[in-house]
Amino acid sequence: MAQPLLNKPSDITAMIEGLFNQTNYVAAKKMLDVTAMRHEAIASNLAHLETPNYKRLDVAPNFATELQQAVAARSLDQIQSVSPRLAIDTTAVASRKDGNTVQLESELLKLNKNFMEHQLETQLITGTMLKLRLAITGRS
Amino acid sequence: MINILNGIDSTSSALNAERIRMEVVSQNIANVNSTRGPDGKLKPYQRQQVVFETALKDQLKGAGLPGSEASTVRVARIESARRQPRMVYMPGHADADANGMVAMPNINIHEEMVDLMSASRAYEANLNVVKTARGMALQTLAIGKR
Repeated sequence: MAQPLLNKPSDITAMIEGLFNQTNYVAAKKMLDVTAMRHEAIASNLAHLETPNYKRLDVAPNFATELQQAVAARSLDQIQSVSPRLAIDTTAVASRKDGNTVQLESELLKLNKNFMEHQLETQLITGTMLKLRLAITGRS
Repeated sequence: MINILNGIDSTSSALNAERIRMEVVSQNIANVNSTRGPDGKLKPYQRQQVVFETALKDQLKGAGLPGSEASTVRVARIESARRQPRMVYMPGHADADANGMVAMPNINIHEEMVDLMSASRAYEANLNVVKTARGMALQTLAIGKR
């Protein structure tokens, strides 16, 4: 009698986990987190358009390099351990006398860019899920 | 509770603060010719101006959660402008002094209009943030749908 391919519950869990642990998929999820966080930073920046001495926030720049290295290494743990956070943007210079480093136009452009990135990432994740569904059910 | 609209605390506080600023501007414009105070004494109206300050989000303060660096804005105080009243020669005016000069409020109407426009622009920008946050939330809810 042939052995069933999956005979223990743990095998099934491992299989299901494997479906959602591809590096690209995990990286896309991470990017989605960052997009949501960057939106929060931009919301805060635009809220403080007129607050004296406010310094604009952004996602800390070391996040991008860390994620790039993790994806290049194809290491799942490394991707998952990358933790983005918000920090004061040190590259922004104050263009006004009150020490505020927020600029309305560039901030609105960043808001829209972030929105497009969010759209790209959700579509990437949806695409992965639809392909999985196609593979499981045989119809799209 | 989870926050579906990201950054809504910052944005709503800013909308509130900018609205207060607009109200103060409209008060200034309304009182551009007021030579007497509410008690009827001879004291020209003084230009009021708002001062904004940063406030940390209460629920996240000190928790060190991701995103807790984002802050809200509030009106710290509304203060009178430190400027001398505008002296206008109007000998027929009831509040004119011995030389025929009337002390008018220290308000420059052009300055107020500029202030009003910049408050309205900031308000619009913050509404834009809400619109984008809404779009992002809808996209997130549509994950996995064709």
